[in-house]
Amino acid sequence: MSRAWKWVREHAVMGVGILAVAYTLIPIIVIAVFSFNDPQGKFNFTWEGFTLEHWKNAFGIPELTEALVLSIQLAFVSMIVATALGTLLAMGLVRYQFKGRRFANLLIVIPMATPEVVLGASLLSMFVFIGVDRGFSTLWVAHIMFSISFVVVVVRSRLIGFDRSLEEAARDLGATPWTTFRTVTLPLLTPGLAAAAMLAFALSLDDFVISNFNSGTTVTFPLFIFGASQRGIPVEVNVLATILFIVTAIAMGFTVWQQRRAEKLAATRPDDEDTGLSALASGQRPVAGSSESA
Amino acid sequence: MKRRRLTPYALMSPGLFWLLIFFAIPMAFMLIVALEEGSIDTGFSLTWQFANFTESVGDFSTQFGRSFKFSIIATILCLLIAYPLAYAIAFKSGRWKNLMLFAVVAPFFTTYLIRTLAWQTILTDSGTIADIARFFAFIPEDGKLLDTDFSVIMGITYNFLPFMVLPIYASLEQLDERLIEAAKDLYSSARSAFVKVTLPLSAPGIIAGTLLTFIPAFGDYVNATFLGGPNQAMIGNVIQDQYLRTQNYPTAAALSFVVMAVILAIVLLYIRFAGSESLMGEDQVP
Amino acid sequence: MDTGPVSGWARRLAVIATALVASVLLAACGSDLGGGGSDEEVTTAEATGEVGGDLVISQWPFYIDRKTVPEFEEEAGVKVRYIEDVNDNNEIFAKLRPDLQNGESADRSIIVVSDWMAKKMYDLGYLQNLDKEAIPTAYENLLGSLETTAIDPDRSYTMPWQSGLTGLVVNTKEAPDVTSINAIFDPKYKGKVTVLTELRDTIPMILLGEGIDPAEATTQDWLDAIDKLDGAVKSGQIRKLTGNDYTDDIARGDAVIALGWSGDAIQLQADNPDIEFVKPEDGCLLWSDNMVIPVGAPNPDAAYAFMNYVYEPENQAQIAAYNNYITPVEGVQEIFEREEPSLADSELIFPDDQFTGDCSTIDNPPEDGVDEVEDAWQQLISGG
Repeated sequence: MSRAWKWVREHAVMGVGILAVAYTLIPIIVIAVFSFNDPQGKFNFTWEGFTLEHWKNAFGIPELTEALVLSIQLAFVSMIVATALGTLLAMGLVRYQFKGRRFANLLIVIPMATPEVVLGASLLSMFVFIGVDRGFSTLWVAHIMFSISFVVVVVRSRLIGFDRSLEEAARDLGATPWTTFRTVTLPLLTPGLAAAAMLAFALSLDDFVISNFNSGTTVTFPLFIFGASQRGIPVEVNVLATILFIVTAIAMGFTVWQQRRAEKLAATRPDDEDTGLSALASGQRPVAGSSESA
Repeated sequence: MKRRRLTPYALMSPGLFWLLIFFAIPMAFMLIVALEEGSIDTGFSLTWQFANFTESVGDFSTQFGRSFKFSIIATILCLLIAYPLAYAIAFKSGRWKNLMLFAVVAPFFTTYLIRTLAWQTILTDSGTIADIARFFAFIPEDGKLLDTDFSVIMGITYNFLPFMVLPIYASLEQLDERLIEAAKDLYSSARSAFVKVTLPLSAPGIIAGTLLTFIPAFGDYVNATFLGGPNQAMIGNVIQDQYLRTQNYPTAAALSFVVMAVILAIVLLYIRFAGSESLMGEDQVP
Repeated sequence: MDTGPVSGWARRLAVIATALVASVLLAACGSDLGGGGSDEEVTTAEATGEVGGDLVISQWPFYIDRKTVPEFEEEAGVKVRYIEDVNDNNEIFAKLRPDLQNGESADRSIIVVSDWMAKKMYDLGYLQNLDKEAIPTAYENLLGSLETTAIDPDRSYTMPWQSGLTGLVVNTKEAPDVTSINAIFDPKYKGKVTVLTELRDTIPMILLGEGIDPAEATTQDWLDAIDKLDGAVKSGQIRKLTGNDYTDDIARGDAVIALGWSGDAIQLQADNPDIEFVKPEDGCLLWSDNMVIPVGAPNPDAAYAFMNYVYEPENQAQIAAYNNYITPVEGVQEIFEREEPSLADSELIFPDDQFTGDCSTIDNPPEDGVDEVEDAWQQLISGG
């Protein structure tokens, strides 16, 4: 086998990975580039010249800014509650044998298979029927509802094949169930939790149909964009989308940096670099095997 | 002992109640709607119209077929792209790991609608990608990429890719690399080490990923709306239209239940075929 | 872990859930999810003369400039929540229907919908009559040609927001010499044509192209027109069926001929001067989007104050200059001549009777064929 061929084989996986990353980033680059566009009218589709005008005016459309802030708040609430409830569900399903398990499974899978318009419309009928005013609270109730199942599926794939002996070891060493959970189970689950939380956040930030039915008089970011997409999306939408992207990147970079520093100080798990994703979801990552478990 | 029997219920009750109250009860409502007949002008009445189910399937079989085709192709494409990507992130990326993970989740932080609309700009008839496709004769001289099967499948693949990558990454990441090293020593070839150790151990991630991709993709309508024309309409578009446009609530509701049943059947078949019930039914219990 | 409080809490939840199930089942037995509407007389939203408080308006996006609402709030002492959540007549109907059916307006006092939707909501008992005494300015300044309309002959429940024409929006560089609606079937433009998903826009236009007056058309004429369009969709002649977003396809150049609305063309010209609105020689459609007051609307006084306010020519000029549709208010053209001379001559903003003379205002299929036509249309737009 020639050396060149060996090199190609060695790096083939990484090559595909890099192409895939490019694929995920192309639309984002397009969005960012068009945030500098200078359309004469309302239609930001063809390049008409460079301007910083819309960046200076980033928060100049109050309804848009308001909608974005609302959506981020909503996504946070939904992410936290859905991740918590979903993780508990996944733990119950994976670790215990009990009556009603098939029913529970069904109840978790079906919402994912239900068309959004029916989820939204049926929930609205119920809210109207019991006389609940629609607004922020009905939105987070709905968002948590459709996010839970996704959280369960992701966390569950992490829980299966989870090495229980570590937990048992902690118990043997005298740790209370809570301490065991906090210092052993949770850290080991973190990548799964982070992925699940991320999904929940994204689902909430993306949702249009269900929100549209249950929003009352509030306007979320996707609702604004959908309305705008019917009559020409203002360039400021691209600007805010780009800002959101940059802020996320900085936040993730910062947590990774802090994490590395903390780990260097503690020197507990020097080689673990899987912090970006996890840090975003959990803020501070508890380190397995720290002194607390003893 | 008693406490141990109650633990699963205690763990699960908050989530289950949430789904019961905000999903199951409204859906029970919908099931009744699916059995009604009438129109928005004359009002609907419950006449146990079971024919709603068969008729709605008969009337919209084309769109059902399209949903199958698009969502299955997109799921396979997602898997083909996501596995090497997740593998690269988990084992090969070194110091670029966080950056690559970020790239995967980055689309999450630009709303679904915005990024789908961005694809319109990218695939437009006068765009570079279309020019390249014409140059290599992938499409005829007067052909187009946008508003075709290609653009819709591409859009679904793009939008659901993170749903595939994250669970696969999560399951690969917990693999002990020493295990793979040992397997390489044992089987002597990287390929059989992969087939016999890595792949089976990442199976839960693959199964979770394919389900997370396929299920929402089957009922998706956003990609077909923005990146397709009428000849790309999927069953999700029909339900959307039946509910919002025609106000034919019984048909919309009946179609939804058919979609749910079809997805459930596929999921069950798939899980049986994949040889693991771990995602739906019997997880291993200590 | 102590299971005591948990199970107690679970029991309470179970009780709530059971109660809910029971109530829903009860409701379902007597459920009347469809309109049906009320058999009662249509009520009038009576004004009391006290203007103040809050006002919630549901409106189409980009239909108003940034200054009008704050200036109105200042002048009238009303706090306005102006929501741009009407993207589509059907969609807003589906969203508000559960409330309207209960005789509630979901906080809204004004909703803006197109003619046919206004009629549909009115027939279902979802709207109230306007208190004519309370909006003297609006009635006085309403254009003569709009004082009566097919759906509401004496303007008892609708007050036009803006009007417009349905016709062809054409990229004249790519598609010169387009004069007839039948250009959408011209093989020269294969794959570069879009039509509207709105049955009541698209089919009457095709009928006009066939030389059939929509007012005289039979159910069979409608079905034939749908059939003709279906063939063009299947063959790839028609690229897409769109809502308002046909403007995107035109702006990008993916469509060169689109069935569309007059105001959009003026706005598209800013980005591409080659784009023009063509009023087809075969005829056109004239429609209005109307302010209506739903049942159960709170604070009708504020709603009437708003109607009067936007019907003041000075205030209306500000709105019309922004959205470029046909203004329903008398006296705006004079203000434009002074302040926006470039738009003052536009036939699309200030059409004379001759210009709109051959425009039809009928857009509904014959009464006895509505269901059949809607079914056929549904099959077409979802690619069946």
